[in-house]
Amino acid sequence: MKNIRKKIAISSALALVASLVVTGLPSAHADTSTLKPTAAQLAAWKGKTITYYFYHDSQAELDTTNAMITDFQNLTGATVKLDDVPYTTLDQQLQARIAAGNTPDVARLNNPGLYQNVALDLETYFGRTYKSEFLKGSTLQVQDPKTSHLIGLPYDLSVNGPIINVDLFKKAGIAIPTSWNWATLIADAKKAQAAGGTDYAFAMDKSGHRFSTVMSQFGAFMVDKNQKNVLPTSQHRAAKALKLITDLYAADLAPRDLWVGTGTKYSSPVNVFIAGAVPVFFSGNFNLATINASAKFNFAVVPNPKELNGGGWPGGKFLMAFKASKNADLAAYFTNWLAQPAQMERMDKAAFWLPTRNDLVAKGITYSSRQTDMNTYLADAAATPAAAYGIQSVPTLAGNIYNNIRDLMTLVMTKKITADQAIAQQITYIDTQLATLKK
Amino acid sequence: MLIKKASRRGSSVSWSRRLVPYLFVAPNFAIFLTFIIWPAIRGFWISFFDSTDGVHFKYVGNANFKEILHDPTISQVARNTITYVFFYVLLAITISIALALVVNEQKFAKGFFRAILFMPVMLSPVVVGLIWSDIVDRKHGPLNAAIKMLGGGAPGWLVDTNLGMVTVVFVGLWVHVGFYSIILLAGLQGIDRSVLEAASIDGASRMQTIRQIILPLLKPTTLVIIILATIHGFQSFDFIYTLTGGGPLGATTLIVQYIYERAFGVPIRYGLGSAAGVILFLVIFAFTALNFIVGRRRNAV
Repeated sequence: MKNIRKKIAISSALALVASLVVTGLPSAHADTSTLKPTAAQLAAWKGKTITYYFYHDSQAELDTTNAMITDFQNLTGATVKLDDVPYTTLDQQLQARIAAGNTPDVARLNNPGLYQNVALDLETYFGRTYKSEFLKGSTLQVQDPKTSHLIGLPYDLSVNGPIINVDLFKKAGIAIPTSWNWATLIADAKKAQAAGGTDYAFAMDKSGHRFSTVMSQFGAFMVDKNQKNVLPTSQHRAAKALKLITDLYAADLAPRDLWVGTGTKYSSPVNVFIAGAVPVFFSGNFNLATINASAKFNFAVVPNPKELNGGGWPGGKFLMAFKASKNADLAAYFTNWLAQPAQMERMDKAAFWLPTRNDLVAKGITYSSRQTDMNTYLADAAATPAAAYGIQSVPTLAGNIYNNIRDLMTLVMTKKITADQAIAQQITYIDTQLATLKK
Repeated sequence: MLIKKASRRGSSVSWSRRLVPYLFVAPNFAIFLTFIIWPAIRGFWISFFDSTDGVHFKYVGNANFKEILHDPTISQVARNTITYVFFYVLLAITISIALALVVNEQKFAKGFFRAILFMPVMLSPVVVGLIWSDIVDRKHGPLNAAIKMLGGGAPGWLVDTNLGMVTVVFVGLWVHVGFYSIILLAGLQGIDRSVLEAASIDGASRMQTIRQIILPLLKPTTLVIIILATIHGFQSFDFIYTLTGGGPLGATTLIVQYIYERAFGVPIRYGLGSAAGVILFLVIFAFTALNFIVGRRRNAV
């Protein structure tokens, strides 16, 4: 009897160890930042294929991802199939694929809240302390609302801010701004437009996310960290910010056709800036690689204008592995591997991304070029008010809230409603959206 | 005995003869059933369910239909669709008849002109939208450059709500009119020459011949064109989406884009999209039936 018990105990222990090895569960002290596959995992993964659903903002992102995939394949013996989709149909295609039972194994996302129910719990694989490796603010958007477990990884941190055509500024006799407010920004932009004879003075991505930066600078926010609609408390400041931007479009100082004429489609005026047709482009670091590769003039990232607040507006992209994956442990490991310090630093350097890992943030990234520009983004990230992170408490609704203010801005630009009416309508809309959380 | 055998053979021959046409039709019918009829039935069924992830569905009765009918944007979409279909069908019929008449009279390079007329039909609607968005661009488009050269301004073809609708109707016509003209041309060539000669001998002018001989004889073909144009009009989406994205301010959002955005937007809602699809089906069916009934009654008269 004793022998039998002993045998059961030993075989149970072995089975537990074996299952830990096969499923890749690390011990509590495993260092996930340099996690290597075990021999058992390598044997199990050899010849397996996973799909990486991906979009890119710049060619550098795509090229680096392809190179990383080659390295991962060499490391694991598995195959990674890259599904590169356009940003504009990212969520639409992914939702359709999930609905059709064709879920990819891993995805790069910018709206992770939509996929909370189908995401793989990464803490099962990498331990309960895994999220502490990443910036706290960024992990808020990839936590299971019920368990608070990490269901995705912040892959990059983005910061919104202005990029200027230095040649046009020089032509107008304007020094590169080191600090400014919206009045000086617009005055300088107009001067540079006049000096260069450009089509426009100012351009901004057609995006509620980008406009939120301006609202934040004027001290207006939409949702706080407690999922509360806080726009009523800053209604007039929000209307002021909205009027400031929409007036530029209404007066043809900004590319109105691009904003109004594209209906509900997302569009970026990055090509207008690259063509030298506008001296000030309000975008973010995600466009820096594309501009760096294509612009035939000198350009620079300059600090965000400061009104009540300075700083930019946080954003970022995320990695997520899915429960439906037939190779869930491989998908989870691929997700971890892409976000390991060595890989993240490689991508950050190539594509001018900002890191989301605490170790990389502490160490700092040395970029091969445009270091000053990246430092400006970092300084703006540090100066971003805490309230700007409030909207991240509603990851499933943020996209809708941003899109609605974008569409209301179109109505103001075309003089269908006033800025005050737009903000009043946005307040009602946010209330309606937040009410869905209680259902 | 011999008679019995012959009749038995005869009945077996007639049975197989009766079966053969069905066998020929069967593969096509199977495809039609699988890819058209069954999805249509499923679509109708799904319209009674709701889902926000396309995986888990909940029966909601007619709630999706109610939601669409109470949607504040639906009245604008309905207005846009009716305006678009009305002008599109009216102008498509008028222009394609005119073009068919002109091409029919052509003596020189007939084939070339017919090919030119038909060419837009062969272009991808997405490409059509992109090409025309460049042509009508307010600041840099060649159309406004020409208007400026003639002393005009720079109309916002894609920015002004009224001009946006004018632009999409024009581009829709540009795409399809050639196709309709070729069908009408076939109808024209089917008209008995002796009837036209008789009219000419009776001293009928060109306009009288067209109005009193050609157009009435072309009625059956015109009816087909009206039905096709009505269906095309209601179904217009792809080139409009790439041309205006439904803008400016939703002025060119037609029912199919509305369905697309409800079904595949974020979050995905197949039930709502299907309900809108059922409504579109009923509307097109009603219009087509009306066209058909009115056309047949007139023909009978």
